[in-house]
Amino acid sequence: MVVAALALFVLYPLLVAAAAPRAEDWLRALTTARWRVTMLNTLQMAALSTISSVIIGFLYAYAVTRARIPGARLFMLVPLLPLITPPFVSGLAFILLFGRRGLVTYELLGLNTDIYGWHGLWLAQTVSFFPIAFLAIAGVLRSINPNLERASESLGAGRWTTFRTVVVPLAAPGVGAAALLVAIAVLGDFGNPMLIAGRYRVLATEAYLQISGWADMRMGAVLGLALLMPAIAFFFLQRRLQGSSVGRFVTVGGRGSRIEPAPVSPMARWGLFTFCLLIALFMLAKYAVILLGAFTPVWGVDYTFTLDNFRRVVVRGPELWNSLRFAGSAALVCAVLATISAYLVYRVKVPFGRALDLVSLLPAAIPGTLLGIAYVLAFNTPPLQLTGTATIIVISMVFSYLPVGYRIAAATLHQLAPSIEESAADMGASSMRTFFDVVLPLISTSFSAALVYCFVKAIGTLSAVVFLISHGTVVASASILNLAEQGYWGWAAALASLLVGIALLTLGVAKLVFGRRFAFFDI
Amino acid sequence: MPEGSAERPHVEIRDVSKTFGHVVAVDRLSLDVATGSFTTLLGPSGCGKTTTLRMLAGFYDPDAGDILIGGVPQQGIPPNRRNVSIVFQDYALFPHMTVLQNVSYGLKFRRLDKAERDRRVSRVLEFLGLDALEARHPHELSGGQQQRVALGRSIVMEPHVLLMDEPLSNLDAKLRIRVRAELKEIQRATGITTIYVTHDQDEALSLSDRVAVMADGRLQQYSEPWELYHAPANRFVADFVGYANVIPGRVLERGAGTATVLVPGSNTPLRCLDPASRAAAGADVGVMVRPEWFTLSPADEKAAITDGVVLIGEVRSGSFLGAFVRAFLEVPGIGDPLVVESTVTRQDQMASGTRLRLCLPHDRAVLVD
Ligand SMILES: Nc1ncnc2c1ncn2[C@@H]1O[C@H](COP(=O)(O)OP(=O)(O)OP(=O)(O)O)[C@@H](O)[C@H]1O
Ligand SMILES: [Mg+2]
Repeated sequence: MVVAALALFVLYPLLVAAAAPRAEDWLRALTTARWRVTMLNTLQMAALSTISSVIIGFLYAYAVTRARIPGARLFMLVPLLPLITPPFVSGLAFILLFGRRGLVTYELLGLNTDIYGWHGLWLAQTVSFFPIAFLAIAGVLRSINPNLERASESLGAGRWTTFRTVVVPLAAPGVGAAALLVAIAVLGDFGNPMLIAGRYRVLATEAYLQISGWADMRMGAVLGLALLMPAIAFFFLQRRLQGSSVGRFVTVGGRGSRIEPAPVSPMARWGLFTFCLLIALFMLAKYAVILLGAFTPVWGVDYTFTLDNFRRVVVRGPELWNSLRFAGSAALVCAVLATISAYLVYRVKVPFGRALDLVSLLPAAIPGTLLGIAYVLAFNTPPLQLTGTATIIVISMVFSYLPVGYRIAAATLHQLAPSIEESAADMGASSMRTFFDVVLPLISTSFSAALVYCFVKAIGTLSAVVFLISHGTVVASASILNLAEQGYWGWAAALASLLVGIALLTLGVAKLVFGRRFAFFDI
Repeated sequence: MPEGSAERPHVEIRDVSKTFGHVVAVDRLSLDVATGSFTTLLGPSGCGKTTTLRMLAGFYDPDAGDILIGGVPQQGIPPNRRNVSIVFQDYALFPHMTVLQNVSYGLKFRRLDKAERDRRVSRVLEFLGLDALEARHPHELSGGQQQRVALGRSIVMEPHVLLMDEPLSNLDAKLRIRVRAELKEIQRATGITTIYVTHDQDEALSLSDRVAVMADGRLQQYSEPWELYHAPANRFVADFVGYANVIPGRVLERGAGTATVLVPGSNTPLRCLDPASRAAAGADVGVMVRPEWFTLSPADEKAAITDGVVLIGEVRSGSFLGAFVRAFLEVPGIGDPLVVESTVTRQDQMASGTRLRLCLPHDRAVLVD
C-alpha cells in the first residue's frame, strides 16, 4: 500500500513532469543567459549557504558537545527552533531587522540600505539551515569515543594535533553528509528567496514565476527538474557517506568506562561560548522581532502596541484554519504511512526492506517546487482531477514530509528496546498478547512522534503548496508570503507568530505527554 | 629506557584525593611503586581505580596530594608531556588508522629520526606478532589482536610508566588467560614499570609483584599477592581476595603479630596471625580461615595428634568440582556454615549429613576484625 501510494503520488507526477518539457524547452533553458545565471546562482547560493552552515554548525556542535561551555544544554535547544518552525520566518525576520525600514538598519543605525539580494538570502539560509548541520554534526561528534582523544594526548599529541589527526578525520564523513543535507534544503527552499532575494534569481522562485506569471508550465517544469538533478545526486551521495562512516568507523572494543572529553583551553572555551551566545541571541532575536512585528501597527513608522494584527488575521481569513485542517489531516495520513514503512523495515525486516527504506526517504530529495509543479501537471485532468481541491494540498504535504515522519518513526522504534518483541515471545507470550502488550504501545509511540512532527512541519510548508492553492484553499504560509510582498508586515508577522506558536505548543504538549520516549531529534 | 634511581620508588602517590561533586573517588591514597615492578590496583567497581590511573596519566589533576614520577612532581604537566602511556579498557584504537599507523602514531611527536622510528615500530610489531597485520584497520582485527595493538601503541613509546585499565575485560574467558600470560611475559621482557587496574582477583594475584586493594577510594592493603591472601589486613580484603570464613573468637593473650584466641566448639586456644595488631585481651574478634586451610577426617576416626584446634561439623551440602570438593559445614556455636575445600579419595567422603573432624593448625588463621 505504501509502495502503491508512493508510486502514484511521487513517481507518477515526477514522470509526467519529466515528460512535459520538449527538447526545445531544455535547449532554451540552457542557451538563455537568464536561465544560465539562475542555475549558477542556485548552485552558488547552495554552496555558500552550505559552507557557512557547516562551519557554524560544526563550531556550535563542537562547543556544546566537546568544549563543555557553560549552559551547553540550553544552547543545544536554540538551534532546534528553526527545525520546527517554517524557514521563511528567517526571511521575514531579517526584513524586519535589516530591511529598508529595519529595526537595526533604519531605526538604530539610520542606514538606508537593505538586505534584499544575495547577501540577505545567504544570511537567511544560513540561519535557517545551519541547525540541520548542527544536529547532524553534534551526533557525529558525540559518537566519537573521547578515549581516542585522551589516547592521542597521552601519546604525545597536543590539543590541536589531536583535533586535526583524530577528531577531524573521524568526523569528516559525517560532516560531509551533513553538508549535503543542508545543500538539499537550501536548493529546495522557496520562501526565503521569494522574500528577500530581491533581483537575485534562483531556480525555485523562477520556476514559480514562470508558472504564476507566464503560465509557462513547460519552462517551469524544466527549471524544477534542473533543481531535482543536483538534489538527487546529493541525496545518494549523502546515503553513501553515512553508510561508509558507519561501516568503517564503528567504535571497536566495546565495554569500558568513558571519560568525558578532554577540556579545551580556557581561551577556546570562552571563544566558543561567545560564539554560541551570539548565534543563539541572533536566532532568538529572529523570533522576538517577529513577535514584536505582530504587535506593531506599522513597522518602521508606528511602534505603539496593538492587538489588531492578530484580530485581523484570525478573523479575516480562513488561512490559519485551512493550515490547521490540512496539516492535521496530512499528518494523520503521513504518520500512518510512515509507521507502516518503518515497522516493516525495522521490525518485520521484510525482504524488500532496503528498497522500501529508500523510497520512503527519497521524497526528501525532491524540491517542493518541483513536487508542486508535477502535481499541477499530473492531476489537472481526469481520472485524477484534483487541482484546486484541498485533497491535493493534503497529499502534497503527506509526501513532502513522509521522509521526516519515517525517520522519526524509525528512530522511535529503534530507541525502544530493539528486541523486546523477541523476548516477549520467548517468555511465552502468544502472538496476540505480544501484539497488544508490546507491539501496539511501540507502534503507537512511534506513530504519535511521526504525527506530531509531520504536523509541525506541514503547517509551515510553502514551496509545493503555493502551486496548489486556489481561492478557497489558501494556507497561512502562502498568505504570509503574500502579505509580506505587499508590505503588510504586521499581519504577516502576526500570522507567522501564530504558526510558530502552534508548532511550539504542539511539540511542548507532545514532549510532556510522551517524555523521553520521543526520539525527535535523532534524525 | 626507564630511569629513576634504584633507592627511590619510581612512582610516588602521596596523599592524593579526588572528588567529583559529592563523590569522593579517591581518598588520601598513598602508594610507592618500585622501578620495573608490576603493580595492580584491585578493588570493586567504583572504588577509584580508574580515577587513580587517570590522574597518573594526567587527565585529571588531584584535588590534593602529589604524584611524583622519577622524583618529579607531575602537578600541572599535561598528558602529552608525561612519559606515561595508557592502555584503555576499550583500547581506544584510532579506527581510521591502520595497525602500523596506530602503533607509530605517538613516535611522530618524539624527536627521532625516521630510521630509528621505523626500527622501533617494526621491533614492537614483531615482538607482539602483529607484523602480518600492519595494514589492517582495527575493525578488521579480533579482540585479542586489538588488545595487542593497543599495547604495542603504548610500549613503542618506551614509557617510564605503563598504565593499563582492565585491558583484558573485553576478551572472552579463554583468551583472557592466554593474554594474561603474554602480558606478564611482555612486562618482564621490557621491564617497564607497570600499573595495572582490575577488579579480577585472579588477574591481580597472578600478574602482580604487588597489589594495592582499594575500597571506596581508600587503600586497604598494599602487599605482595602471597601476603594479600594469607595475611589480609582487614575483613574487606579477606572477603575480596578469595573466600573467607570468619569465625567469632575471644582473645586470650596477644603476642608480637600473633594472638591466642578461643573459638566456639573447642577448649584448645588457637594461635592466630594478627598482622594489623587488633587483638586486645578479652576482645571479641573475627578469625578468618580460608576454605582449604582445614584438614578433614571422619569424625568417628581416632583423632590424630594435631598442632591446632579441632572442630566437629556436619556436611550440609557439598559440590564436586573436579579437583576438589567444596562443602558447607554446620559447626555448633558458629553461626554461618563454614566453607571448606578438600581433595577427596572416596565419592561419599563429603556427602550431606556426614560428620567430619576439622583440624585447624596454629599460625594460619588471621584476625580480621
Ligand atoms: N568524571 C566523573 N564524574 C563524576 N563522577 C565520577 C567521574 N569519574 C568517576 N566518578 C565516580 O568516582 C567513583 C570512582 O570511579 P572510578 O571510575 O575510578 O572507579 P573504578 O574503580 O575504576 O570502577 P570500575 O571497576 O567500575 O571501572 C565512582 O563512584 C564514579 O561514579
Ligand atoms: Mg574503571
